[in-house]
Amino acid sequence: MKVKIALAQINPLLGDIEKNREKHLKFIEKAIENNAQVIVFPELSITGYRLKDLTMEVALPSDSSFFNPILKQSKKIDIAFGFVERGSDSNIYNSAMYLENQSIKSVYRKIYLPTHGMFQELRFMGRGEKVATFKTRYGNFSILICRDLFHPSLLFLTYAQKTDVVLGMSSMPLRGLTEEKPAIQETVEKAIDTYTNFFSQFIVFVNRVGFEDGLGFYGGSFVGTPLGKKLAFAEILQEKLTFATIDLEEIYKKRQLFPLAREEDLNIVQNNLNKILEENYGKF
Amino acid sequence: MENFSLNYELVKKFIIEFIKEEVHSNGFNRCVIGLSGGLDSVLVAYLSKEALGKENVKAIIMPYKTSNPASKEDALATVTQLGILHEIIDITKIADAYFKEEKEMTNIRMGNFLARIRMNILFDKSREFRALVMGTSNKSELMLGYSTWHGDMAASLYPIGDLYKTQLFDFARFMQIPEKIVAKKPSADLWPGQTDEKELGAKYSQIDSILTLYVDQRKTKDEIIAMGYSQKIVENMLNRIKKNQFKRTPPPVAKFSPRTFGIDFLYPHDLTK
Repeated sequence: MKVKIALAQINPLLGDIEKNREKHLKFIEKAIENNAQVIVFPELSITGYRLKDLTMEVALPSDSSFFNPILKQSKKIDIAFGFVERGSDSNIYNSAMYLENQSIKSVYRKIYLPTHGMFQELRFMGRGEKVATFKTRYGNFSILICRDLFHPSLLFLTYAQKTDVVLGMSSMPLRGLTEEKPAIQETVEKAIDTYTNFFSQFIVFVNRVGFEDGLGFYGGSFVGTPLGKKLAFAEILQEKLTFATIDLEEIYKKRQLFPLAREEDLNIVQNNLNKILEENYGKF
Repeated sequence: MENFSLNYELVKKFIIEFIKEEVHSNGFNRCVIGLSGGLDSVLVAYLSKEALGKENVKAIIMPYKTSNPASKEDALATVTQLGILHEIIDITKIADAYFKEEKEMTNIRMGNFLARIRMNILFDKSREFRALVMGTSNKSELMLGYSTWHGDMAASLYPIGDLYKTQLFDFARFMQIPEKIVAKKPSADLWPGQTDEKELGAKYSQIDSILTLYVDQRKTKDEIIAMGYSQKIVENMLNRIKKNQFKRTPPPVAKFSPRTFGIDFLYPHDLTK
């Protein structure tokens, strides 16, 4: 099966959810005109990233009527976007949801919230706990958010749940300007190359652009494929809507050429993990 | 109106200890204060004298030709009352030398310019006197951004920066500051007839209620309006808070290196303590 995916590399306005919703609708409209079947926005695309004390002011439950105009468009195209979620448990999460045919298919809460150096996420948001795979018309999808992508354990969990396509939704600030590419871009591309190769998945990496308090989000969105191709490469630092048509057949091909999945044994993983957890009192 | 009551005896003790420790741990014994004769600077002068001793506090009185003469009188009365050092530096000549070359001067430009001239003199005097510059900004004006960036906001510490204006009236009375000074209409005195409440479009009792509901109690705009506060004033105040955030933060650096000022070079202010 072939699926046309739109990568919405946008620059959200910090804290202005109305304007950001408009921008979403504009990009969705363009993606529909181009016959895309899925559109993916970056992390916190509805709110912007460096919210600090604004976090509480822009938090919305996933079923808020604020999202209705976007929900309506999901009749014509599947939509994944990021928002600050006000959970029914009275906690706040860095979340992303996937809409299909006017209903919420999945809400994912970011698990690893960086809180060091320039990052302050755990000061303002709680951590999610569950990596899920959900069935769409276009195969099994999972969402991971930004820092999650630097934890191979989470990618492994999507792999173990037979995810075909991982949506990696990001707000990655640029750092490292000595080489041809920013160092962070090099890191992300190497990681995605490795995951797509060994887990024979597609990874749709959508990173935002724009500046917030001096942090410059670099963009450079692309789709990594199991056969090591990079599709729909968006240039850095520019708002862009790019398109990639992925062929899920590639997963099957890759898994025959390089049958790692067939060798995989979750019992071995579990037994070893149990032992490690026991020895370390449940801590890493 | 919200409840603003505080234990002013404890507040006084706390702020005096703060001034002592901040000034001394930075390697100083003395401070300079731009003393306008208004409630805030007079109060800071009282507290500084208690913390550092009268011989270590110098008031710099800097009138401009349009300044209300009563302000200078109140400043001088404060100096006499406290027995602190003082200097009077009339800034008319310095400011007018610039103003006369400029074609269209607005009140705001003039007001900001005067505030920054005073800042310049204050920092120069702090060097001469080997002293720190005491800030006189209060919580109401810091939150609303109702002050001149790099002007009256420029200081080494803000001893009364967490007290709303409404609380300063009570605190000043507790500190036995003469009623004549406490009862004056609050004004930056940057042009004749200027008052805070006229310029902000509301009474401090309303302003501070809205501020504490939003800032301290984290009520939303709609919740505050539903409590009976005027929508226009609430919106005006919340807009001022947001619009002036730049005054309360260092300017953004275009970050690309591993550690960057203002972002992830995170030493405390009191690094050398």
